[in-house]
Amino acid sequence: MAIRHMDELVQAGLEQAVELMVLAAHNSLRFGGKNTLKIISVGQEEMEEIANYALSLGDMSPLAARDGRFVMELIKEPWALLLLGDKRKSVFGYDCGACGYPSCAEMNRVEEMESLTSNGPACMFRVLNLNLAANAAAAAAWRLGLHCRVFSTLAFSAKALEIIEDCDIVASVAVSAAKQDPFFDRHKFWTREHWDQTFEKEFPTFTRGFIGAVED
Amino acid sequence: MSMERSIRQYQEDRRQAVAIAARLLLASGTTSPRVGGVGECTFHIMEDPCDIEDLCQKMEELAEEKEKWDFFRREAAMLRDADAVILITSLRSLNDPSDINCNMCGRLTCDYLREAERLQAGPGVAFTGPLCIFRAANIAYALDGLISQARNLGIDYGAYWSAGLAGMRLGLLPRDTGFALGVGISITEKSPFRDIPLRYSEINQRSMNDRIIQRLWPQFRSIYS
Repeated sequence: MAIRHMDELVQAGLEQAVELMVLAAHNSLRFGGKNTLKIISVGQEEMEEIANYALSLGDMSPLAARDGRFVMELIKEPWALLLLGDKRKSVFGYDCGACGYPSCAEMNRVEEMESLTSNGPACMFRVLNLNLAANAAAAAAWRLGLHCRVFSTLAFSAKALEIIEDCDIVASVAVSAAKQDPFFDRHKFWTREHWDQTFEKEFPTFTRGFIGAVED
Repeated sequence: MSMERSIRQYQEDRRQAVAIAARLLLASGTTSPRVGGVGECTFHIMEDPCDIEDLCQKMEELAEEKEKWDFFRREAAMLRDADAVILITSLRSLNDPSDINCNMCGRLTCDYLREAERLQAGPGVAFTGPLCIFRAANIAYALDGLISQARNLGIDYGAYWSAGLAGMRLGLLPRDTGFALGVGISITEKSPFRDIPLRYSEINQRSMNDRIIQRLWPQFRSIYS
């Protein structure tokens, strides 16, 4: 029998694992029995686009920028990204009020508010179904021993870039077969100087001696 | 089937298994992901049959409030057969938007959401939205954490928002609860949450037992004695 080497086996295993994750997400529990989700996985080119876009949001969102920098590193070892999306309008008829409108019909009639991240208002139960699927994919990845993290930043970037089309609300699940878990304790993606600058900007009161002090 | 000692022991062990399983589900729900890593969900286990009955009666009462909530009756009939109910809450969706300006609520920014007029609490209003919909992801993760563990343990489960609402209305849940769901669990040989016939709120194991056994048995005994 021909010898297959580790790298090839890991990549093949990862591809199978992603299919199993999609299966778990596809079959996850749904309120109202509505299975309207769209699920795709992306390739290298799209992932780089997503990373660059997230990085470009640095001024608005240090979190997105950090995830953008992180993705550029992530893709150096075997990885995959699932994007999950759905439409926003209620198909349930629960009239529960969580969206702020007294009935589903009224919410569905209201003018759509478009934005790069999501289009609203979105039905609570559609968002629940979307994220139940995301968690089911993540739980499958966990059982298969993959490194995994759920990202809203990457999902929002993918929606803004129209990589996932015809969806109002989105979520993403990234997995990796890197030698070490790349998703947590991501200190190497910060230089000390950049970390200090960002911290000072985001938490200005932390180092201020007197709470009533005036900022420069 | 006579209740011999070994069968009684089995029933007692089954009840203990429910208590352990409910806590393991709670553990899995607690450690499931949270957006931004910010905690906001709590879990409340109801295992006393009297408490579960109160919850089911509240669900039936709620079914009267709105025609569209008629299915609450059916869910109440299912939850009466649950061995335990776990209520999951979201404590930030009501008053603490995530400040991520995601626009899922349709208000464009979290500041606009804070200013938005809320639905007034009252009959026919389940949740006083607009809630922070981004926070809803946490409830989904918490719920799927429970489900994932239930599947690991091989126990039966069903998820019902009507039970969460009933828990809120009964004042069982923390004050800041904006949204809540209930998960029924069962350790029995046939899941009470699947294969549910039509008109289940009227025709179920209890009503069947009452109409066919409890009502006819004394007559049978009188006639054939």
